[in-house]
Amino acid sequence: MRRNNLLRTIFIVASLLWAGYELYPTLRVSQLKNQLSEKASKLAQAPGLQPEAVTDALGQGTLDGLVQQALAGRSPDSLQKAQQETKALIALYDQVARLEPEALRRGLDLQGGTYLVYEVNLVKMFGDLAKNKDQRFAELMAQVEKAAREPNADFFEVLQSAFDDTGIKLSRYWGSRIENDTKILEDMRKEAEDGVQRNLEILRNRIDQFGVSEPNIAAQGDRRIVVELAGIQSVERAKGIIGKTALLEFKLEKDPEVAQDVFAKINTWMKGTLKNIRPALANGDTTKADTSALRARQDTEVAVDDIFGTSVLVSDSGKAGNDSTVLVDKDVFREDPFYSLLAGSGRDVAVPVKNYRTVDRIINTPEVQEIVRNADAQFLWSKETFKRGDQEYYFLYLAKREPELTGEKISDARTEIGGGSSMTAAGQAVVSMRLNSEGAKIFADVTGKNVNKRMPIVLDNRVASAPNINERIPSGSAYIEGMGDINEANDLSIVLRAGALRAPMEVIEERTVGPSLGQDSITQGTQAALIGLGLVILFMAIYYKLSGLLADLALVVNLVLLMAIMAFFSATLTLPGIAGIILTMGMAVDANVLIFERIREELRTGKTVRAAIDTGYDRAFWTIFDANLTTILTAVVLYQFGTGPIRGFAVTLIAGIAVSMFTAIVMTHVVYDFVSTRRTLKTLSI
Amino acid sequence: MQFFRETHIDFIKIRWYALSMSVLIIFAGIVSMVIKGGPKYGVDFLGGTVIQTHFPAVPDLGQVRDAVAAAGFGDAEIKTFGERNDVLIRVQEQEGGAATSDEIMNVLRQRFPGNSPEIRMVESVGPKIGKELRTSAIWATLFSLVMILVYVSFRFEFIFAVGAVVALFHDVMVTLSFFSLLDLEVNLTVVAAFLTIVGFSLNDTIVVMDRIRENRRLVRGSTIENLINLSINQTLSRTILTSLTVMVVVLVLFFFGGEVIHGFAFAMVIGVIAGSYSTIYIAAPLVVEWEKRRVLKLSRAKA
Repeated sequence: MRRNNLLRTIFIVASLLWAGYELYPTLRVSQLKNQLSEKASKLAQAPGLQPEAVTDALGQGTLDGLVQQALAGRSPDSLQKAQQETKALIALYDQVARLEPEALRRGLDLQGGTYLVYEVNLVKMFGDLAKNKDQRFAELMAQVEKAAREPNADFFEVLQSAFDDTGIKLSRYWGSRIENDTKILEDMRKEAEDGVQRNLEILRNRIDQFGVSEPNIAAQGDRRIVVELAGIQSVERAKGIIGKTALLEFKLEKDPEVAQDVFAKINTWMKGTLKNIRPALANGDTTKADTSALRARQDTEVAVDDIFGTSVLVSDSGKAGNDSTVLVDKDVFREDPFYSLLAGSGRDVAVPVKNYRTVDRIINTPEVQEIVRNADAQFLWSKETFKRGDQEYYFLYLAKREPELTGEKISDARTEIGGGSSMTAAGQAVVSMRLNSEGAKIFADVTGKNVNKRMPIVLDNRVASAPNINERIPSGSAYIEGMGDINEANDLSIVLRAGALRAPMEVIEERTVGPSLGQDSITQGTQAALIGLGLVILFMAIYYKLSGLLADLALVVNLVLLMAIMAFFSATLTLPGIAGIILTMGMAVDANVLIFERIREELRTGKTVRAAIDTGYDRAFWTIFDANLTTILTAVVLYQFGTGPIRGFAVTLIAGIAVSMFTAIVMTHVVYDFVSTRRTLKTLSI
Repeated sequence: MQFFRETHIDFIKIRWYALSMSVLIIFAGIVSMVIKGGPKYGVDFLGGTVIQTHFPAVPDLGQVRDAVAAAGFGDAEIKTFGERNDVLIRVQEQEGGAATSDEIMNVLRQRFPGNSPEIRMVESVGPKIGKELRTSAIWATLFSLVMILVYVSFRFEFIFAVGAVVALFHDVMVTLSFFSLLDLEVNLTVVAAFLTIVGFSLNDTIVVMDRIRENRRLVRGSTIENLINLSINQTLSRTILTSLTVMVVVLVLFFFGGEVIHGFAFAMVIGVIAGSYSTIYIAAPLVVEWEKRRVLKLSRAKA
């Protein structure tokens, strides 16, 4: 027994030393991080930068440039001072970055950040890939989409049964005619799988370039990708970078004659379907439309119902409510309903923002789609709105269906600040792209053949910019203008470099915690833990006197070891995790309460102190063991079922209970033994 | 210091009163759930988006509502929580999924240029995920009960295991009832609390059962009522002490742990009380009734 205790003592001391070793980086990092944020906000003060921008730039390694840009034009003195501060800050950041992997990680909920689950939208993916799309196809896919939304529904099974029911072969839309359904389905499955894997790689690449420390990107099941980004300030920018498909296409604008023809056909179609034009408007004092160009628009509001007659369109539910009226030129409306919704200006067709949804619905009707398809054309909206006078407009482009070039042929994309050359406005951020040799050849060819036409650069089906081709461009470089700010340009460069996603994705779950809430949570969590710990310690000391203090010691050691174990296993500390720790403290004393109550009982039966202690421990052991093991069982279930924060809670609970068995049973017993062998105890402070 | 020396309280005697109280609470809870059409699920289980924003200055809620409606969410729920410049926006599930939070924040920033809100928290769950989480939460709770049934039967006796599991089920139902009666939201963390309650309550039950097992060997010729009463009295001091310490920390969590952990802490407060109570008044009486019937059957067979 004695020798055994020596071993136990050595083990206890060793485990405490180990805990100190494991926890040192955590303490040091939190110390350094405080210094870091202090210095960052100090630096941010001087040039009038946002502290968040400074931290973000630090992560992306662009701080130097940011500071220089912000301080442009200031005195050389202040510039030099800021540069020194920047250097110190970067050095500190590197130090933190080196130590951080060894420190106890804080969960998203404690440092701010975001947890995103993306799901590949197979309906959209294969909808895009399909050929010979017709009305029938749209109906079928709508049906498939609805059925696939059920939990546990498999897209491919749903697809097959939908096609089987109608007797249409899959080969009508996918694969080649000689292939049977089974083969096509098999190929589709493979394609979906590939898509997820490729997306995963592209996302890793993008996030890496965005500069997030220790991102967690993983596939979940076969359709989902989980992205965890801790400690980032600009969640929305990150989401923009991750979720953007970033399909870049260079297209050619249709000739004006073709465009005029298409518009006229749409106008005629609309006129034919319009029925219920309000009498008041129809009989108004409108003179016949004056088609000469120099005429101010005479805008008036018209109910959307009037435009669509009664049932031309399926209304898109949910969002229809806020654009019940549109703006039309009342002089033109009656004769030319479609033209009245638009506002031409030079080569551009502009659409007032208020009319955007309505026009979008019109150009997406099957009838209009057919008109457009017959002209081998496609309508495209501008990405941004433009202000002309006091109205905001979207531009509407009519481009050739097939792209001349796609983003796959881009070898590099960088942000540049325009110098005021022919291509770029001075001081404006642009994205400059370099094409690979094959791309450059095609580009030179296309530009050479289409001088004085416009070439819309289309990003995810929106026109990002529509430069005019002034001459043949042999260099293989192109620009996208119209960036809102340098961040937008940087983000676009990143996604263009990393490439387009193979399969379109949607966010199906998001949990974001702002940095301020994270800070509050950690403050409140720590506070609650300390108060809880204090109260339990006080209570035990009062109730069990010296023995209570011994239990308190065990409790503190328990806490330290628990944190060390978490650091060792690179577990993540979450807010529920802190709750778990607090709860473990309540439960850990249970073991000591059981033992002490047993010892008290034994003492009452008249046993000696030594005998009472030994019997107390013996008797209580199995009770504690059974009780704790069952709790661990439920914690294991919790771990299996939970995600993120809940798992953190389960892990702390399991580790805490396991450690408490050691500290509450073994450690306290050794101390009792130590005391009771030195001198014969007549009474026990319990 | 000692709260209890030797107590001789006849717990088993009043078991029917206790049982009727439990039944009453659970019945009230079930009625309330039926009326309200199930528990009040949070975004986790229902799908939808909740955004907690913080405005530098107190905003006009009407304007916030207008802005959110302009983003296309006319039926959004908008209210303050905590401080008057903390605004919570809740939107029903949308087809577009989590893009909604960006749309709403963009519009808010445009409409409040001088008072641009900051994101405190976003929780957005697609309808599919909501359903999945709901089923997996139910499975997790059931699965943990089955595991307990197996382990306790293995370590003790089958009837003890049944008593323990019925007691645990009782605890979860009571907590759920309180949540429904007080119109509180059931989300993922609350389910985590349920499972923790299961763990804690079981801990308590095992300690008493362990004592019963031990006393059965030591005290011969006693009726099962007396045996169980004795065991409960012997462990009463420990039961109260442990419940008290856990209660103290749970209350600290409730009052100081912050808003995120509030639901969890509240569930734990109810659960800790229910857990200690159910050992004495649900698990033990069940064992008593079972044993009495068994003894009766045995004596009939002999006669």
